[in-house]
Amino acid sequence: MSTPIYIMALHARGKIFPETYEVVSFARELASSQKTIIVLGTEQVLPGLTRELAERTGIDVLGVAGEYLEHYCAESYTAILKEILGSSVPLTLCIPHIAMGYDFAPGLAAAMHASCITSVEDVHEGAFVRAMFSGKIRAHIRPNTPSVFLTVLPGAWKPYTGESSSKTRVTIVYADKPPVSTRAHGLKASSPADISFADADVIVSAGRGIGHPQNLSHIKDLAALFPKSAIGATRAVCDLGWMSYRHQIGSTGTSVSPKVYIACGISGAIQHISGMCNSGVIIAINTDPYAAIFRYATYCIVEDVNTFVPTLIKEYRM
Amino acid sequence: MKILVCVKQVPDSAETICIDDAAQSILYKESCVFRMNRYDEFALEEALRIRERFSGATVDALSVGPDRVRKTIYKALEMGVDHGIHIPEESVDYLDPAARASLIEEHARDNGYDLILTGVMAEDDMECQVGQILAALLSWPCATSVMHQEIDLEKRSVYIEREIEGGAREGLTISLPAVLSIQSGINRPRYPSLSNVLRARTLELETVNPAREARAVQTMTALSYPDAGATGTFLEGTSADKARELIRLLHERSVL
Repeated sequence: MSTPIYIMALHARGKIFPETYEVVSFARELASSQKTIIVLGTEQVLPGLTRELAERTGIDVLGVAGEYLEHYCAESYTAILKEILGSSVPLTLCIPHIAMGYDFAPGLAAAMHASCITSVEDVHEGAFVRAMFSGKIRAHIRPNTPSVFLTVLPGAWKPYTGESSSKTRVTIVYADKPPVSTRAHGLKASSPADISFADADVIVSAGRGIGHPQNLSHIKDLAALFPKSAIGATRAVCDLGWMSYRHQIGSTGTSVSPKVYIACGISGAIQHISGMCNSGVIIAINTDPYAAIFRYATYCIVEDVNTFVPTLIKEYRM
Repeated sequence: MKILVCVKQVPDSAETICIDDAAQSILYKESCVFRMNRYDEFALEEALRIRERFSGATVDALSVGPDRVRKTIYKALEMGVDHGIHIPEESVDYLDPAARASLIEEHARDNGYDLILTGVMAEDDMECQVGQILAALLSWPCATSVMHQEIDLEKRSVYIEREIEGGAREGLTISLPAVLSIQSGINRPRYPSLSNVLRARTLELETVNPAREARAVQTMTALSYPDAGATGTFLEGTSADKARELIRLLHERSVL
């Protein structure tokens, strides 16, 4: 693959999403061809963002400025990228598979007659590998088009931390593409976080497999054994109303990397895995010995959480 | 107010599927049961709630796929949808999202919809693409992972909150017509009422045969199972043995 590679840097509240640096690792592994990082934002934030990107990656950075880019907006992103990338086809565009990335990538790809392969987690013999059926099966997908858009699954590559180069070029251009059909209002003030995942050494998480909201007491009892712990949950548990979404860990929730992660009754869907796979040690407790979570776990315990946790607490107190 | 909801039929459980010997196709075991994609149930429920708010509003449900998907369209009628549309499509292995979107677009283009809703993704191939491509083909605005919507018919716009990482939300207003991909948890999908179940039995589905062949932009070349080599250490013995071993391992890492 010798076509130029573009990497989309995504940011909010003045901070680059860390998944951007994972995409840098992915792109470096993909091919040695010419690479450029693109970042869109206001004139106020771009100098800082472009400098950080250039210093941390050694890759040329193209910043596109516009006052209407204070908040992410699919319409403007699509219009700007179509214009600046239009003259470089065929190309490969790599984007973090986060809510902003998969919001605009497929539509932009369609507008540019490119293929779009989402949540790529591996590359095998030129095909892009992605999970289907909650990770039970992996599909190998090949593009039929000269230009290819790839959204990269968070957690599948380590953030790039390699040497940077002093020859990096930073260019900032202005684009006049204010949205016509969209008014972006930006991030809503979120409810005060009462869960401090970052301070926790141990995170104990509940999946649908705990069976009943009453059984959350076991999860709380287990977490209470550790001096610095927090309680997490899968999206399914939050959707069922058993826990609030603030507890959600995974691609649409919080990404965590505690010393120890204890997954209780969690099957191991990739959306959850991508939010916790960088944990130091992963302990999985599940009744199904074939559950996907055991492929990611350091220690696997085939037990019913609801009986095992009381046993564990009893043994600990003995 | 005319709403279209795109629903997909998926296997109920990943336990009843496997890969064929050529590693090219998914085999559905005899025990495989198909049902509506859960994310689409949230989209359907949201459409029905919008219909309740605006008098005269109607909701169509559409599905692309082989004959068996008609059952899923009937499920949508049982939930209360006004009209069901089936676009026959026989690709057994992989229908790429651009091809699927173009089949839907062919129906949606001239049918005067104000709003098209999809689930945020399908549970089977998890691509998160069809809604956005459909919007691009129609040149409509689009928002994904929608957790809240408020339609303003006078202004022909909809205020949306979409979910981003960490459960945070992003607000935006987009003009109608628009495509929204609905995130799970936005509502609690209803169970079919008896009257709607009986009503659905009297309804015929509209079959829309595609006029042109869907053009695929990507091809599935192989299927594989995840690397089994990554399996961790299974703790052995009785429950109490496993508990003691786990306590030892946690001590070793100084967290307990």
